[in-house]
Amino acid sequence: MRILRWLAGLGLAAALALPASAQTGAVVDADWLSKNLNNPKVRVFEVSVDPGVYERGHIPGAVNIRWHSDLVDTVRRDIVSRDKFKAMLENAGVTKDTTIVIYGDNNNWFAAWGAWVFEIYGVGNQTKLLNGGRKVWEAKSLPLDNKTPSYTKTSFDLPAPKLALRGRLTDVSDVVQGKKKAVIIDIRGPDEYSGKIFAPAGVQELAIRAGHVPGAKNIPWGQAVAADGTFKSKEELQKLYAAVGADGKQPIIVYCRIGERSSHTWFVLAKILGYNVKNYDGSWTEYGNTVGLPIVNVTGTIWQGK
Amino acid sequence: MQRFALSILIAIVIVAGIAAGVLSLSGSGSGGRGLAISLALGAVIGAVLQRSRFCFLCHTRDLLENGDPRGVLSILLALAVGAVGYVIVFGAWMPLPLADRLPPTAHIGPVSPVLAIAAFSFGVGMAVAGSCISAQFYRLGEGSPTAPFAIIGTAIGFVAGFASWNALYLASIADAPIVWLPHRFGYAGTLALTFVVLAGLAYLALRSSRLRLKKRDAERFDTNSVLRSIFVERWPAYVGGLLVGVVSAVAYLRVAPLGVTAELGSLARTGAERMALLPSTFHGLDGFRGCVTIVKAALLSENGLFVGGLIFASLAAALVAGEFKPRLPNGGEMVRGLAGGVLMGWGAMVALGCTVGVLLSGIHAGALSGWVFLVFCFFGVAAGLWARRRFKF
Repeated sequence: MRILRWLAGLGLAAALALPASAQTGAVVDADWLSKNLNNPKVRVFEVSVDPGVYERGHIPGAVNIRWHSDLVDTVRRDIVSRDKFKAMLENAGVTKDTTIVIYGDNNNWFAAWGAWVFEIYGVGNQTKLLNGGRKVWEAKSLPLDNKTPSYTKTSFDLPAPKLALRGRLTDVSDVVQGKKKAVIIDIRGPDEYSGKIFAPAGVQELAIRAGHVPGAKNIPWGQAVAADGTFKSKEELQKLYAAVGADGKQPIIVYCRIGERSSHTWFVLAKILGYNVKNYDGSWTEYGNTVGLPIVNVTGTIWQGK
Repeated sequence: MQRFALSILIAIVIVAGIAAGVLSLSGSGSGGRGLAISLALGAVIGAVLQRSRFCFLCHTRDLLENGDPRGVLSILLALAVGAVGYVIVFGAWMPLPLADRLPPTAHIGPVSPVLAIAAFSFGVGMAVAGSCISAQFYRLGEGSPTAPFAIIGTAIGFVAGFASWNALYLASIADAPIVWLPHRFGYAGTLALTFVVLAGLAYLALRSSRLRLKKRDAERFDTNSVLRSIFVERWPAYVGGLLVGVVSAVAYLRVAPLGVTAELGSLARTGAERMALLPSTFHGLDGFRGCVTIVKAALLSENGLFVGGLIFASLAAALVAGEFKPRLPNGGEMVRGLAGGVLMGWGAMVALGCTVGVLLSGIHAGALSGWVFLVFCFFGVAAGLWARRRFKF
């Protein structure tokens, strides 16, 4: 009996000591995460856009990241500063051995934006996305909690940032003008791409012109996921993007309207398929408004109205 | 007797329908859970309001005109209980009231002269129409002749509110401070302050009491008397106050702060936009917290189910109690309902909620906007009641 208990204890200790990277790749699934909630080497972050979602029930132990204030600099229209980002990780008790898991609402769009910022600030190798995000976690009726956790503050030296992951207007215009070669992927819906509509209904942030970047290929973000919101298989994803010439041999630039849905496709191409990809977060609200740059609009709605 | 049996049967069918709705919604995936809880809480509130006749206007009128403070005391009790519940929730979500953050979705609104005028208008409207919006909804379940007109009037008032929003926003609301008392006093300090003010108001209410209670005769305490006291007799006012406070905190924890105008306002906004009556942009409106109105996209909404549950549970409770007494309205009731409704609807739109959404949910959350609404709404009610006595309408 005592031996049995001892063995059970040993098994538990082994499970806890198991490296968090037992699940290889950039994605973890809900079942793995549900078994690793007490693993001190795993730290979960929620990046949701709807207010109150985190507070009314989050994955137990998850730390809240407010997209509007914690990940962006609203005054500069920029990503959060390196110092503020570092402080956020330290307050959440992250060390260089921590496996970071990010998830969120709205199909993981803002969580993927989070993963992109984490990658830029050099912690991408220890950062993973929860496959299917909040939707799958809830659909499986896995546990939720509404207490705000607190962790012992750590000191964490961030590695060098990878600013090249961020696409700039000049990167895109260089491709449009033939100075550089890259595949540009527009991940918005087909009606936004064609210019039939300026933005999805109810959206405030607009460009003065509708349409897309000349030469951009349209693969809406949703084609990368199955009906339940989890990513399609690596082979299916390779095939999907290879069809428009994005096979990893050339650099890729992805964009959408403000850069959050395109983070989702950035994640697929860069983290699951391992391609060289920039996320152009200025996206259509920058390019579409820029003076002196051409667009393609097949519907004739260049300005509001025809 | 046959009529009574029929009433009971219909009530059972309604309750079974609500229960079936809650069960099927809660089984329809994660999005359905919020809808299911909204419907269930709406039904609880509907039954509580109907059984205890919890009504901001009637309670105030009972005190002002009849010297009966029990109803006003029950409102103060609801405010105290809910404030404790909210602080418990805040403690879990935001252990410290940090200066640059507000608790998510809590109804903490801008404090401006517009809020004061809107609350006054709402108070006058309540007095004219005979009760506030939440009570009109439960009275709809009792077959009130005025309630349908008051609700139509409220929708019209909402359209007027939308039409005046941009001008009021630019003139005053845009620069108005959003004051959350815990930022200044902490959670414990805010709660203590709330209790002190509520105790002061309770003292004032008791001082103006002219109520003499008859000693109740010794009653048998058996199954029959207990059933009667639950299903037929009016619940003591304080029971309503306690339960409203508890449901408010539970609703905030699980779905959203209590409010009864969001769905009605959304219907008014969607309808008026279809008829091209409204501007295409409302400055700043979507950035505020409160009973926010959106253009209708989905048929089922949390607030719509809450109000639906409220009306039908009130109907079921009224049927059993023998208080479902529909009758045709007379001209005065129609005009009073419509006119009072318009005043309430305009006030509820520009104040971002009514006695439930701004006063109750706001004071529970420690919002200064809730207290401002309370003060000016009270003056509005007093003025409206005075005018009705003076001009006999």
